[in-house]
Amino acid sequence: MPNDYFAGIDVGSLSTEAVIVDSNKHLLSYSIVNTGINSSAAAEEALSEALQKAELPRNRIAKIIATGYGRAAVGAAHKRMTEITCHAAGAQQLFPEVRTVIDIGGQDSKVIHIGQDGQLVDFAMNDKCAAGTGRFLEIMAKRLEVKLEKLGDLALLAEKAVSISNTCTVFAESEVVSLVAQNHPIDEIIRGLHVAIVNRIWNQVQTVGVHGQVALTGGVALNRGVVNLLEEKLEQTLEIYSEPQIVGALGAAILASK
Amino acid sequence: MTTSDTRRDYLQNQKSSGRKLLGVFPAQFPRELLWAFNILPVEIWDPPVEIAQANAHLQPYICSIVRGGLELILQGKSSLVDGYLFPHTCDSLQNLASIVNDHLDTGKPCFFFYHPKAVDGQPAREFYRNQLTQLIDRLEQHFGSINIERLQECIQTSRRLYSQLNELFNLRKQGLLQITNSDFYATLRRSEFLWPTDYISELELLLTQKCVKPLPSRAVVLSGILPNPPEILSLLDQHKIRIAADDLLNGQRRMTFLPTNANDPLEAITDAYFAQPPCSTKDSAIAERLKHLQKLTVDSKSKGVIFNIIKFCEPELFDLPQLRAGLRSTGIPSLVIETEINQVLSGQIVTRLEAFLEMIGD
Ligand SMILES: Nc1ncnc2c1ncn2[C@@H]1O[C@H](COP(=O)(O)OP(=O)(O)OP(=O)(O)O)[C@@H](O)[C@H]1O
Ligand code: SF4
Ligand SMILES: [Mg+2]
Repeated sequence: MPNDYFAGIDVGSLSTEAVIVDSNKHLLSYSIVNTGINSSAAAEEALSEALQKAELPRNRIAKIIATGYGRAAVGAAHKRMTEITCHAAGAQQLFPEVRTVIDIGGQDSKVIHIGQDGQLVDFAMNDKCAAGTGRFLEIMAKRLEVKLEKLGDLALLAEKAVSISNTCTVFAESEVVSLVAQNHPIDEIIRGLHVAIVNRIWNQVQTVGVHGQVALTGGVALNRGVVNLLEEKLEQTLEIYSEPQIVGALGAAILASK
Repeated sequence: MTTSDTRRDYLQNQKSSGRKLLGVFPAQFPRELLWAFNILPVEIWDPPVEIAQANAHLQPYICSIVRGGLELILQGKSSLVDGYLFPHTCDSLQNLASIVNDHLDTGKPCFFFYHPKAVDGQPAREFYRNQLTQLIDRLEQHFGSINIERLQECIQTSRRLYSQLNELFNLRKQGLLQITNSDFYATLRRSEFLWPTDYISELELLLTQKCVKPLPSRAVVLSGILPNPPEILSLLDQHKIRIAADDLLNGQRRMTFLPTNANDPLEAITDAYFAQPPCSTKDSAIAERLKHLQKLTVDSKSKGVIFNIIKFCEPELFDLPQLRAGLRSTGIPSLVIETEINQVLSGQIVTRLEAFLEMIGD
């Protein structure tokens, strides 16, 4: 039996995904687990789960590419590539018309311009700070005692947005506390937070430019508030895969199959 | 023994041998003049100090070169030097010069060197010559008269030194030098404190690493102020990427132009300054800088340009958007990373660098 399956593992700061594809680049299975404090254990767990779902033994995997901020910790990987290249490859596979990919994860946000053959043309990535990333929204959800999954919908229900002047996560958090104390409606504060994060992303988008159709990947694509506000800015609909978190791992698996 | 120990020992020996030491801030200054006074210039770019006291004197948006330089003085770690020289590089360094000269009681003389920003036309040359004369006058007040014959000799030494550096840069460009980026720039940077003849010996040794067949490696151009933090260089080494040409203020922007054979030594030094490539700290036209970067990239067969910007370095930041757009329009990809001189690379910066390397392909 030939080893004609390929795996991609994306060890993100919050979640780790594994994807298995066949030699025709068809997706066989995937898994999403929490990264936790042990990146290599998370990578192992994600891979085992994906293998199980695909009903494949480990030795049928010909090549593994690891990506994500924890890529160096994946002992099983044959090669390591950045999540920028992998998100581009994954989005290109899912939406061949897409030329701009926005990935918003837990600690990073990236804007990627891809060419016709899926090659990278240019990209922008945030600095160390968590402003403009999923972590920002998580911290605020906790602070406002709202479920993360509900946050985006609440933002959409609000009639207006309270303006948040601090982009820094730490300062924004105390700003939110005082806004709550001043009796501003929670949903308006939440909308304000979404406006702030989208503005931040928008700055990044502008350094790379909007080219062709745009895909949104990463866990924050599950937040309808961010999606909606970003679409307003872009004046176009975003392409979003049903499991936006696995796009990087999918890209890694596709690249492994080449 | 750490590098800073060996550096300190070397400087101590130089001092014991009767030489004077001058702490010189970045970046452009007439080395030959100082050598002629038997003064060893000890350049202060990125001293290995923990920044603490300097923060009290500087606004938060000042770059780490200025911050580190001030900290070094405040911590009393520049006790070996007999004075300071402040070239007029940028507003922040100018500001540092006045803090040190007007407000700190270092007990050491401060010298200033105002090289012209506009670099064409006779008035600029006259201005430069005039600054050389003024610097000589000031130095003479502290270190005795200059000996013109000695100056002529120093100019010849300088010609040898820069010719060797040029040859090395040339070999690097063609991939004909068996040396990593890390080792090459570590050697280049020893020019910041070695006496020229000692440095020439090291360069001679390096020239023996010449190989006949070009090494297989992809090439990039590195632009910015310093090749710092050094992890950038080792990361490129790890990925077998060669810096085939640089546009660094402390590299090829200032280190490749030798004094001419003009009879008048000041004229010879002036020629070198005016032959240098365009630079943000000389207010060069962006179009000139762009042309220069394009030429460096094409001549060295590089695949792209990495702009390594020191956080808050205004002169560099100002030119950046136009330079990148210009490069893009001629199909040259570029990357910007913002770093602090003495900080380890963040995970994000490593990812950006690696993504850029993936982008420029094999
Ligand atoms: N069900 C959900 N609803 C809304 N948002 C969600 C949901 N699940 C995850 N998120 C958002 O996605 C973020 C995590 O995204 P993702 O899993 O892509 O990050 P990561 O890849 O681990 O991080 P990075 O790429 O930055 O290292 C969370 O911070 C959160 O804001
Ligand atoms: S890094 Fe920039 S701002 Fe700082 S001293 Fe150098 S030129 Fe001036
Ligand atoms: Mg991710």
